[in-house]
Amino acid sequence: MGTGLNRRSFLTSAATIAGVTSMAPLLSACGGGSHRRSGANTKEGLRAALPSYVPHTAFKADIPSVQGGPDAATDAAFLSYPASPAATVSGVPGKGGHYSAVTPLWGTVPPVGNSFYQAMNKALGVDLKVKPADGNHYDTIIPTMTAARKLPDWIQLPTWWNPNFHTGDLAGTQLADLTPYLSGDNIKKYPNLAAIPTGAWQVCTWGDKLYGIPSFSTKFMIAGATYYRRDIFESRGITADQVKSADDLMNLGKELTDAKRGVWAFDDVWTYLYTCWGAPLKWKVENGKLVHLFETPEFLEALDWHHRLATAGYVHPAALAGDNANAPTRFYSGKVLIQGGGTGAWNLPDHQSGVAANEKYRRGAFNILAADGKSTPVVYMGASTSMVSYLNARLKPAQIEELLGVANYLAAPYGSAEYTLVNFGAEGVHHRRVNGVPTFTEEGKKDVQAQTFPFLAGPSAVISNPGAEVVTRDYAAWQAANVKSLTKPAFWGMNISMPQAMATAEAAQGVQDTIKDCYHGKKKVSDVQAAVATWKSGPGGRLKGWMTDNVLAKYGSGQ
Amino acid sequence: MSTVRPDSAPVPARLSRRVRLRRDRTLLLMTLPAIVLLLVFNYLPLFGVVTAFQDYDPLVGVWHSEWVGFDQFQQLFGDPLFWGAMKNTLYLSLVQLILFFPVPIALALLLNSVLSERLRNFVQSVLYLPHFFSWVLAITIFQQMLGGAGILNQFLRQHDFSPWNIMTNPDTFALLITSQAIWKEAGWGIIVFLAALSAINSELYEAAAADGAGRLRRMWHITLPGLRGVIVLMLVLRLGNALSVGFEQFLIQRDAVGHDAADVLDTFSFYYGITTGNYSYGAAAGLFKGVISLLLIWGANRLAHAFGEDGLYRK
Repeated sequence: MGTGLNRRSFLTSAATIAGVTSMAPLLSACGGGSHRRSGANTKEGLRAALPSYVPHTAFKADIPSVQGGPDAATDAAFLSYPASPAATVSGVPGKGGHYSAVTPLWGTVPPVGNSFYQAMNKALGVDLKVKPADGNHYDTIIPTMTAARKLPDWIQLPTWWNPNFHTGDLAGTQLADLTPYLSGDNIKKYPNLAAIPTGAWQVCTWGDKLYGIPSFSTKFMIAGATYYRRDIFESRGITADQVKSADDLMNLGKELTDAKRGVWAFDDVWTYLYTCWGAPLKWKVENGKLVHLFETPEFLEALDWHHRLATAGYVHPAALAGDNANAPTRFYSGKVLIQGGGTGAWNLPDHQSGVAANEKYRRGAFNILAADGKSTPVVYMGASTSMVSYLNARLKPAQIEELLGVANYLAAPYGSAEYTLVNFGAEGVHHRRVNGVPTFTEEGKKDVQAQTFPFLAGPSAVISNPGAEVVTRDYAAWQAANVKSLTKPAFWGMNISMPQAMATAEAAQGVQDTIKDCYHGKKKVSDVQAAVATWKSGPGGRLKGWMTDNVLAKYGSGQ
Repeated sequence: MSTVRPDSAPVPARLSRRVRLRRDRTLLLMTLPAIVLLLVFNYLPLFGVVTAFQDYDPLVGVWHSEWVGFDQFQQLFGDPLFWGAMKNTLYLSLVQLILFFPVPIALALLLNSVLSERLRNFVQSVLYLPHFFSWVLAITIFQQMLGGAGILNQFLRQHDFSPWNIMTNPDTFALLITSQAIWKEAGWGIIVFLAALSAINSELYEAAAADGAGRLRRMWHITLPGLRGVIVLMLVLRLGNALSVGFEQFLIQRDAVGHDAADVLDTFSFYYGITTGNYSYGAAAGLFKGVISLLLIWGANRLAHAFGEDGLYRK
C-alpha cells in the first residue's frame, strides 16, 4: 500500500485517543504543592530560548506552501518522490555512543535488531537501541518509568498526554535542558533542525527553557474538518462551495437523508463545527477578562443547532448511539455523507479504503464557514506539533551534542537521502521504486513501515500521497482555500502546568457528557445549561480564578 | 491448648494444632495457590485504598502525596452525579434481582424435566454459549438486530412504521440491560442449580410417585426444598454484589442512552476518577462502594442464618 502507515494514518488513531484535547492549551497537571512551577513561559524568556528559523531552500515542492496569518501556512505538497534524493548531512553524525530510546507505536512492533535498525545505526554512527512501546497503553507505561526515574536516554512524550506525564515537572529534573545547544543561532549547527518552524519549538519550552525536539510539525494544525462524499455530492449536482451557513447544512440534511434506504446525511460533526457559531475553542479574553466556552451564548446556539440536527432525524442512528468505531465504514459505504474528522483522515490509506468500497470514492471538506453565513469564518489553530521527544537529564554535554547530531539527521527534509532511509529504509532491501514511488518490500513492511525513528525527530510535514495524486491536490487546495481562516486561540502554544484539581475541572467530565447527550438529541440545551451552572459554581469557578491569576495575569493570553 | 489423650476417642476440637496441621497437610497445600492469588490480587491492592484519603499524585507516589483526610468523601457526597450513579446502581440491581434471578432456576427446572439426554445436552450447550462472548460482541449483536439502523428498524421503516428505539431509550434501559444479561448469562447461571438438582435423592421422587404425587406436587415438596439452600446462598451472594451490576455493559452503552441513565458506581469511578486523572476521587467512590457491599453481604448472611440456612458458612 504505497507508503503505507505514514504519519497521517497514525494521527488518525492518535486523534481518536486525544480527541479535541490536543487542541487545548498544552496542559500538564501537577499536584498542588507550592514547590511547583507553573511551567508557562514569559514573552521575553521564550524569545531568548527559541531557536532561529532557517527554512530549506534547496527542496522545491510541486505545490508550494501558502502563507496565512502569523505561524499559519499550508503544508508544501509533493506529487511525486524525487528520483535521486540529495544528501543534507555529510559524513556520519554519531561518534559511536550507546543510547536507548522509547517511542509509541500504534501497530506491530518490529523485531529487535532487525536489518533496518542496523542500517540506521550504521548511517547514524551510534548504537541507538529503539524500543517502541504500545501506543494504546503509552500513557500508563511512561509514568512507571518516571516514578522510578528510569527514563531512557531519548523519549517521545506526545503533548496531549502532558497532564498524565507531568511533563512540566519532568523538564529540568529528568529531562535535559537543550537551551544552551539550540537557542537562537546555536541551532545553525543543525541545519535540518533549524528548518523546523518556531511554533513547534514553542511547544518544547517549559519555564523559559527549551527541552524538547519536535516531530511532525506543521503550520496548518487544526482539529479537523467537516468532510463530505465529494463523488456522491457531484453525482447529485450539489456544489459544496455553495454551503456557506448552518442553515445550508441543515437543508442538506433534509435533502440527503433517506432513512428507508439506510442513508443518513450526517454522522457526528459537533467537535469540528461548534466554533463556526463564534464560540471559542475553550477560552477567550474579552475586555481583559477570561471567558470560558461554556459561558458564551454562541456555544448555546451551536448546541441548539446540533440538537435540532439530531432530533430532525438527519444523523445516523449508530452515531447517535455513540458508535464512533464504525464511523469510517459508514462513510466509505455511503451510509453517511457528511462527517466530522481529524485532518489525518485525508490521506492515501483513506483513499485506498474508500476506493475499495466504491471505486468513485472521493473525499472533500466544506470550507470553514460562519454559521450565520455573514461573519468572517474562523478556525482555531492547535500548537504546531503534538509530538515532542526529550533527552535524559543524566546525559553529559558531549552525549547531548551527539544525539542532537542524530536528531539533525532524522529531521532531514522530505525527499532527501536521509529522509528516504529513515522512512523507507535501504533501496533494494526495504523498498523498491515502482513507477518512481518507493514501495516497501516484505522486509520493509515488517521493519520500516511501523515508524519509530520519526518519533524522535522529523522535518515539518508535507502533503504527499504517492500513487493518489488526486488526494494531494484536493487536500492542498483545501488548505490553500482555508489558510486565511486559521486563527490563534487564547493560550496558543503555551505550556501550562496545572494542579490536579484544576486539570479535573478543565476536563469538566460532567458537562462534556451532557453536551454529548445534547447533540445526540437525548438532552435539551437547558440540561447543558444546568450542568454548566453546577460546574461554574464549583470547579469551573475555581478554574477560571486559577487561570486568571496564574496564567493570564502573569503570562498573557499568548495570542 | 489441651493435650491429646490417646486413650479417648478423637474429639476434633481437642486435637492440637500440630496434629491437625499434619492431618490436613495435603488439603492445606492444595489451597495454597488460591491463597497466594487472593493475597496478590485482592489483598495487596487494598493498600491503594489510602489514596482515597490523599490528594494522590502519581508522580510523587503514595508515600509523598498530600493527606487530605475525608475531603474526597465530602466532595463525593456533595456530587449529584455520584448520587445519580448510586440511584442507578440500586435500581438496576433491584430490576435484575426480580427479573434475572428466577430465570436460571426456572431454566434448570425445565432442563431437569427433559428426559432425553441428547436433547438436554444440546439445549444446555446452546444456553451456555453466549456466556463466552464478550460484552462488546453481545451488545454489537443487539445493536445489529435492534439498533436504530438495525435489521428490525430498517424493516419497520421500509414498511412505513415508525422505528422502535429500544437501544437508545434511557427510560427502558433497565429492561434492555436485564434482557441482555439474561441472554448472555442465564444459561451459565443454571450450572449450580443443576448440580443441586442432581444431588437430590431420586428415591424421594420414586416414593412420592408411588404415593400418587403428581409432577407439580413433587416439584413443590421435593425439588424446591432441595434447592432452597443453594437458592439462599446465591441470593446472599447476589445481595452482597448488589452494587456491582457490571462495568463493560454500561461503558459500551453509555453514549447510546446518555450518562444519566447508564452511570453506575463502577463507571462513575472510571469516568470521574481515572479518565480525568482524579485518582483519589475514584478511590474514594470505590472504597465507599466496598464498605456498603460488606455491610450488605453481612446483613444478608445474618438473614440467611435467621432463616436456618447455611448462608456463606455454617454457623
